[in-house]
Amino acid sequence: MYRQGDVLIVPLAAEAVPADALEAESEPRDGRGRLVLALGEVTGHAHAVVGPGRLIREGGAFGPALLHVPDGARVVHEEHAVIPLPRGWYRVVRQREYVPGSVRVVAD
Amino acid sequence: MRHGDHGDLLGGDASRGRPGAEAGGEPTGWRSVAAATGPGARDAAEAGVRLAYRRAGLAEPERLRWVDSPLAAVRLLREEAGRTGASVRRALRDEPLAAQRELMHDRLGPTGWSTHWRATGADLWETTAPLVERIRSAVIAASAPRPRDEAAIRVLLLDAVLGQHEAAWLSALDPGPGSGLDGLAVVANSAGWWWPYENVVVLSERPVELWRDEAGRLDRSDGPALAYPDGFALHAWRGLPVPGEFLKRLDTLTPALIREEENAELRRVMLEHYGYDRYLTESGAEPVHRDETGVLWRIALPGDEDVAMVEVVNSTPEPDGTNRTYWLRVPPRTRTAREGVAWTFGLEADTYAPLRQT
Repeated sequence: MYRQGDVLIVPLAAEAVPADALEAESEPRDGRGRLVLALGEVTGHAHAVVGPGRLIREGGAFGPALLHVPDGARVVHEEHAVIPLPRGWYRVVRQREYVPGSVRVVAD
Repeated sequence: MRHGDHGDLLGGDASRGRPGAEAGGEPTGWRSVAAATGPGARDAAEAGVRLAYRRAGLAEPERLRWVDSPLAAVRLLREEAGRTGASVRRALRDEPLAAQRELMHDRLGPTGWSTHWRATGADLWETTAPLVERIRSAVIAASAPRPRDEAAIRVLLLDAVLGQHEAAWLSALDPGPGSGLDGLAVVANSAGWWWPYENVVVLSERPVELWRDEAGRLDRSDGPALAYPDGFALHAWRGLPVPGEFLKRLDTLTPALIREEENAELRRVMLEHYGYDRYLTESGAEPVHRDETGVLWRIALPGDEDVAMVEVVNSTPEPDGTNRTYWLRVPPRTRTAREGVAWTFGLEADTYAPLRQT
């Protein structure tokens, strides 16, 4: 598994990928052609994937997402070093923080 | 400029009045409309209002009145009671919106519509809806000292078209000329909430201040997080509504004052503002557990659950070569630093093992 700041990218065995994810359309790419895993609303900085692949949201903007990079890809961010990803499926999880009574998403 | 390379795009969109269309379906332009502050172009907004009336097949309103805030709008409308004529919000906003939504729903199918909504308005709605609700509550709190007035004010608030805060829907519904939503889109670019009636339209200016945190929640420690030109304002710390007076006290905090605060929510704000690390140092706390993922700390608070925190070090050095330490609150039952860090990613302690961290 790989971690870039507040985003954790966990390899997922092909058998563990939900069937509907195989059919699902990818999230749209941003203006620079990247798949945005997480966007900092204030800084505008993004954890983003460069390269062919698909990103499928499982629940809301801050929920986990599935990432498929058939040829491998690179995860980039304005303030973090690049992470090369081997090809395959991943679950992308954003870091959260405990708040009594609820849970808050962390954003760096 | 915070949005960096999107700057030109946003400026251009706003002046052309149709951000969603200019941005090729990307919701960034509407995001800036929703968050815009300061005076808009009144002429454009008024033209948008008249266009919306015409699109709905209504006679243009006799009078347009500008006010500085939704609170001022509600006060004016209470004075004008009986002279405004009936609300035309349904004909002018709800029905065209529903029609356009149905059209797209039919064209895209249920799954396609849901994908489209997630790609356009969904994120923006997540941050705009709570803001709208906060403004409504604050208007009620500021204008309804007597409980029996509250229902009447709620009804008035439901008569409002949300101006810039309609951005999430407009970004999803492609408000071009054929959609019947073009008038609403023009107003959205230049005004805050507006109240359409048969005889009069009341338009509110946008806020002059809007401060939010990364998660889109109202957040400011040294002034109002949302303020309108007439002084109507909301104070909030990371989304939690707080009294304005309370924020002034934050600069003079001591560990003793924090311990003495009886309201648990306000005490959390005080702790966050003071800094958990500083509080831990000054109260002589000892780490509970330490491993290669970080350090686990615990603060016991009388009458409240313990505060458990993991102290972790950012793997990417700052420009000056140092590594930033940060603190994340984890559930009070946490026993080890690894368990705490794993929890922040929804994992068990024994499955959290990053191969590479940056």
